[in-house]
Amino acid sequence: MATLAHPDEPRRPNIASADVQLPAVKDYEQVDREILQILQPTKAWFAGLLIALTCLAFGIASWSYQIHEGLGVAGYNPPVMWGVYIITFVFWVGIGHAGTLISAILYLFRAGFRTTIYRAAEAMTVFAVMTAGLFPIIHIGRPWKFFWLIPYPNWRLLWPNFKSPLVWDVFAITTYLTISTTFLFVGLIPDIAVLRDRETNPLRKQILAALSFGWRNSEREWRHFARAYLFLAAFSTPLVLSVHSVVSFDFAMGIAPGWHTTIFPPYFVAGAIFSGFAMVWTIIIPMRRWFGLRHYVTLNHLDASAKMVLFTSLVVGCAYIAEFFIAWYGGVQYEQDYFWNRVFGQWWWAAWIMLTCNMILPLSLFSQKLRRNPTWLFILSIFINIGMWFERFVIVVPSLSHDVEPWQWSSYVPTWVDYGLLIGSFGWFFMWFLLFVKQLPVMALAEIKEIVPPKMKHKDPHHHGGH
Amino acid sequence: MMRGMIGVFAELDSTVEAIEELKHKRLGDLTAYTPTPRHELEHAIEPPPSPVRKFTLVGALSGAIFGYWLAIWGSNYWPLVVGGKAISTWIPYTVFGFEVMVMVGALSTVFGMFYLAGIPRLTMTVGYDPRFSGANYGVWCECAPEKLAEVEAILRRHGAVEVRGES
Repeated sequence: MATLAHPDEPRRPNIASADVQLPAVKDYEQVDREILQILQPTKAWFAGLLIALTCLAFGIASWSYQIHEGLGVAGYNPPVMWGVYIITFVFWVGIGHAGTLISAILYLFRAGFRTTIYRAAEAMTVFAVMTAGLFPIIHIGRPWKFFWLIPYPNWRLLWPNFKSPLVWDVFAITTYLTISTTFLFVGLIPDIAVLRDRETNPLRKQILAALSFGWRNSEREWRHFARAYLFLAAFSTPLVLSVHSVVSFDFAMGIAPGWHTTIFPPYFVAGAIFSGFAMVWTIIIPMRRWFGLRHYVTLNHLDASAKMVLFTSLVVGCAYIAEFFIAWYGGVQYEQDYFWNRVFGQWWWAAWIMLTCNMILPLSLFSQKLRRNPTWLFILSIFINIGMWFERFVIVVPSLSHDVEPWQWSSYVPTWVDYGLLIGSFGWFFMWFLLFVKQLPVMALAEIKEIVPPKMKHKDPHHHGGH
Repeated sequence: MMRGMIGVFAELDSTVEAIEELKHKRLGDLTAYTPTPRHELEHAIEPPPSPVRKFTLVGALSGAIFGYWLAIWGSNYWPLVVGGKAISTWIPYTVFGFEVMVMVGALSTVFGMFYLAGIPRLTMTVGYDPRFSGANYGVWCECAPEKLAEVEAILRRHGAVEVRGES
């Protein structure tokens, strides 16, 4: 493998070998020192937070205006009654997928490149699902009635339809948010104990002691922790696959052209992992540069994640082509007409943004040189984020605007309120992430120490305690 | 009165050797500390397997049953009658069975971990050093007062950077 040094060659800094994943990280003290220095606020961090809060304020103002004026101020135009809010909901749920994929699925597969990126990805998941959860509430127009979606005994004969995908969504998203948060928090407990033991401020020390639940790093605690973590990963793995499958059922259970297809669940799951990895790059690549963490998130890690992105891009591309093929092969005129309208008609510009960003540009990752170029990966991640938002636009809007009834064909133009809430969602997401980065370790201290060789009295690896 | 002796180690193999000798001589109850999970320490201590899986199984089964029951009971109590369709059907209700299984199973796993690991611990009891979360390993041996000297000697002989008695 070209990314690994030959065993006989002298080891160069930051070139991994089969037994040393982080060659520039020498000991546990270095791990604590370098990762915990991220917690110090900097001017760039305050500037980032200010931008996020400004975007959030725009979103709050837009939502307040919509609540005051009614849902008519959004760009809905019958029959297009799903628009930017549902598109953005699916987009953020998708972003939330990579975190659990990296932390759970790659953990079960013992993929080493996850170790330094999974904490940031898990936090991203929680904040992305928190963001996604807002949009169905915004979309219903009367947000104070959102609890009607939750099944609970009442005397209004108001009981959700358990055969409706929208109710499945409530259960899937709630479970995903709960389990992602639990997974993140359980993994944080030993690292919060590190913060507690280094803290000098008595008040902060007490808060951290409470948050770490009195964790003491005993062998007994680690034994139960490791077992519980394994089971959480085992639960989260099918959960990742189920959540976006359920989200895809919101569409696939409908009979609109372009929606009623069995390919949707795997297509949505692959797309979600694809977009989630792109967002991980958007976050991790600037972080490794600004905080001097290139020797933790190495080029090998980026290379391995680029291969995942390339693979999921090919799956998504295959799904796009399969959709066109089935429309042609199925011989249903409405389907064929719809797909023609999507790619060469009314919505050509959105479809080609999607195809270019999600199918064509990621092909560059066949080049190892580009897979190991962080600047290109960052630029590509922005394109993929844009492309995946447009993928959801292309799924939602053209089907509704070009239904089976030609007399009601129409168009859809989002208003400033739609865009305000879209921008606000990014502000909300990045506000939480930036606050997280400065309060808790954004890389898992205990797991990184696990791959750093421990100090040994005897250099012979076969002696007691050798690894 | 002193309850035991704590040793702080810089090296993993020294810690393992100290544990093995203390265990061999049966001087008291041992607790090992490590900043990160190490199989070497687990092999030295030889603990029984973690029973967390029992909590997982019970939680997951309860969750699956509750998920199906909620959907079936809700549909039958407030039926949405559609001609030619059953009021309750297991295929769509598998979504509820699965999601609630995962939720309750995962939460009961975490509860099991907390319960078995003895956390939350409200106070830092004896036999702990803040260095154990950083870069050092540790051994806490809780023993009878007459054995403290021997425990101290073993910990020092194996290279503990600090040994102290705690009461």
